[in-house]
Amino acid sequence: MRSPGRFSAEAKGRHGRGGTWVLPLFLLSPALALLLGVVAYPICRAVWLSFHRFEILRPDLSQFVGLDHYRDLLTDPVLRIALANSGLWVAGVVCFQFLGGLIGALILNQRFPGRAAIRGLALIPWATPSVLVALMWTWMLDGNYGLVNDLLVKAKILSRFQPWLAQPWSALPGVILADVWQGVPFFAVMLLAALQAIPEDLFEAARIDGASPGRVLRHVTLPLLLPTILLTVMLRVIWTANYMDLIMIMTGGGPGYSSLTVPLYAYYTAYKRLDFGSGATIAIVQVLVLAAVMVFYLRQLRKNEVMVQ
Amino acid sequence: MPAPRRFRICCLVVAALAVLFVPGGFTPLHAQTPTVVHYWLWLDDPTAPMFDSLVKEFNASHPGIKVEYQLVPLSEYHDKVVTALAAGSGPDAGRFKDWWLGEFVKLNALEPLTPLIGKWPGRAEIIENLWETGKIMSSGPVFMLPHQFITFYLYYRKDWFAAAGLKPPTTFDDFLVAAKKLTDPTKNQYGFGLRGGAGGQDQWLAFFSAAGGRLVDGQGKVILNNEQGVKANQWYIDLFRTLKVAPPSAPTDAYAQCLGAFQAGTTAMFAHHVGSSVMVTQKPGADSVGVVPIPAADPKKPATMVTMAGNVVFAGSKQKEAAFTFISWLSEANATDKWSSSREGQLPSVKSVSKLPRYTNNPFFKVSLDSANFAIAWPPLPGVGYVSAQGWQANMQRALVGQISSKDMLDEIARALQR
Repeated sequence: MRSPGRFSAEAKGRHGRGGTWVLPLFLLSPALALLLGVVAYPICRAVWLSFHRFEILRPDLSQFVGLDHYRDLLTDPVLRIALANSGLWVAGVVCFQFLGGLIGALILNQRFPGRAAIRGLALIPWATPSVLVALMWTWMLDGNYGLVNDLLVKAKILSRFQPWLAQPWSALPGVILADVWQGVPFFAVMLLAALQAIPEDLFEAARIDGASPGRVLRHVTLPLLLPTILLTVMLRVIWTANYMDLIMIMTGGGPGYSSLTVPLYAYYTAYKRLDFGSGATIAIVQVLVLAAVMVFYLRQLRKNEVMVQ
Repeated sequence: MPAPRRFRICCLVVAALAVLFVPGGFTPLHAQTPTVVHYWLWLDDPTAPMFDSLVKEFNASHPGIKVEYQLVPLSEYHDKVVTALAAGSGPDAGRFKDWWLGEFVKLNALEPLTPLIGKWPGRAEIIENLWETGKIMSSGPVFMLPHQFITFYLYYRKDWFAAAGLKPPTTFDDFLVAAKKLTDPTKNQYGFGLRGGAGGQDQWLAFFSAAGGRLVDGQGKVILNNEQGVKANQWYIDLFRTLKVAPPSAPTDAYAQCLGAFQAGTTAMFAHHVGSSVMVTQKPGADSVGVVPIPAADPKKPATMVTMAGNVVFAGSKQKEAAFTFISWLSEANATDKWSSSREGQLPSVKSVSKLPRYTNNPFFKVSLDSANFAIAWPPLPGVGYVSAQGWQANMQRALVGQISSKDMLDEIARALQR
């Protein structure tokens, strides 16, 4: 049997002679080809499209227009509405999903009869297809005979039915509610897994030192959950910013542009108006905004890590 | 292994490969492979067995052609056809709306059918003025073969009207009197099911035209945002905003919500077409539902909206003649009657079929066919596809919730139509 030292020395030797990258490259090539095909090519294509007026059925008539699409977007009032809606949508969805998930994880981490069954059932919203979630909530929030209205009127919270998805002020919150319902289990499961990884000794030591449950949560649970929280929030922000199925089915971005988000605007521009150049430009704007948010977030993350250390 | 045995095994393998991979390897010469025609369509009810049985009947009676079809929901149909054609994997022929004609003809994506129609014996049977729905200009070629069409009319609750002593509305004045009288928000009851959500542009065009508005003039110039158009549109917006005779959910109500509200007794009137006649006679019931043409601002100038769902052959098809054989067969009396009398039933484009008692004695078909005499279609402009898919809905909703005026809404739509 070779010792690790001998193996590594041999590897260094081969590296030094050149040609040692052939085998690793060969082994990586399927993954590399996949990445180039499904990630790099579409990104390059989108950038190319954003500089062209592209006729999908007559590519021969496509024209290079430089920065025209970007210039048009600077003065586009609909993009400003869509950006504001996207911000509200991501912030609303991620905050409430996180809070719901944290409460859910803390409850599911307790010992109570039927815990295993309830942990399984709690995953149902996450496992339900988006189209079904959208249709279900559309009818539950319906302004004429929706269940939500019925319950609120019977509980005397409302005097009459409200068209939740047909009013500019309530359409986006209505869709956020549906997505929060669907996404809470994701946070709950991730945080529950992290909670279970915290050694019981730490809780016990805190309790022996006389810490109240609130102080245990603040000084033991949350700091140890922080890496998982930061990672799941980052993933969720990216997914939510790109997610448009629910909005498209529940409100179509309406009434008017009240619930129109950036990806939905890009989709409508590309596929309904057949303006693929402008659609790609809107998508690139979304990528740039999201990248800026992520860079800021990762910097904060690094600062936190330094502070923890 | 002895050599002769190895040789025999090799021969067997080669023979097996020949059977598997050589096209028509051992097929008798007289059994030719049929020409495959790929056809796409949408159906309002995709579970309806009518179309599948029609395709089986066609394939059995035309041994040289094999039709393979694909169902696509109407809301996705336009996008899927465009992307499939761009990728070179589009169908040979497909069901088509007059909404998209201008856009696809501009992109040279549709085959002119006039030469093939000239050789088709069934052409004389098509109701004469319906040929116009498949053209860009009256003197130009036909791009879409007429098949099933609809005109908008008005359902009303016969029992509620009788109880309130109201007559079926024929004018805007009658309509408003009835709508106001039958609106009672405390009972969650409204006079009219206004459709501001997906697909509502057809209902809007019916009322807009009946109020005297026109999308284009005789020369094809867009005029919908002129003074008359703004007034007609304001009348429609006011049904929701100031008169409040439509449910509060109207800005986003689509077909399912409007039909559901009429069936549940939330609305007293609802504009649609024969496609929903079976549903409304099931609930609230045939005795409770009456039908009249769309009321008019001026009874001497009635108007409504007509839209044709025809068939086209795509320019990129390599099987154009076979594709035309199938779509023309669909527009012949036998297939048209089977389609029109099914759950998917719309108005037949074939003269002899439209005169059958099953249509002339059916009040819904009768009002629809009579309305065809004064119905107005969407003009074949390149922007109609976008306006019908999204542009109208976004701007109508903004007008309904008071974010823009009637004039602003029509200016936006005019710009989109002319793009």
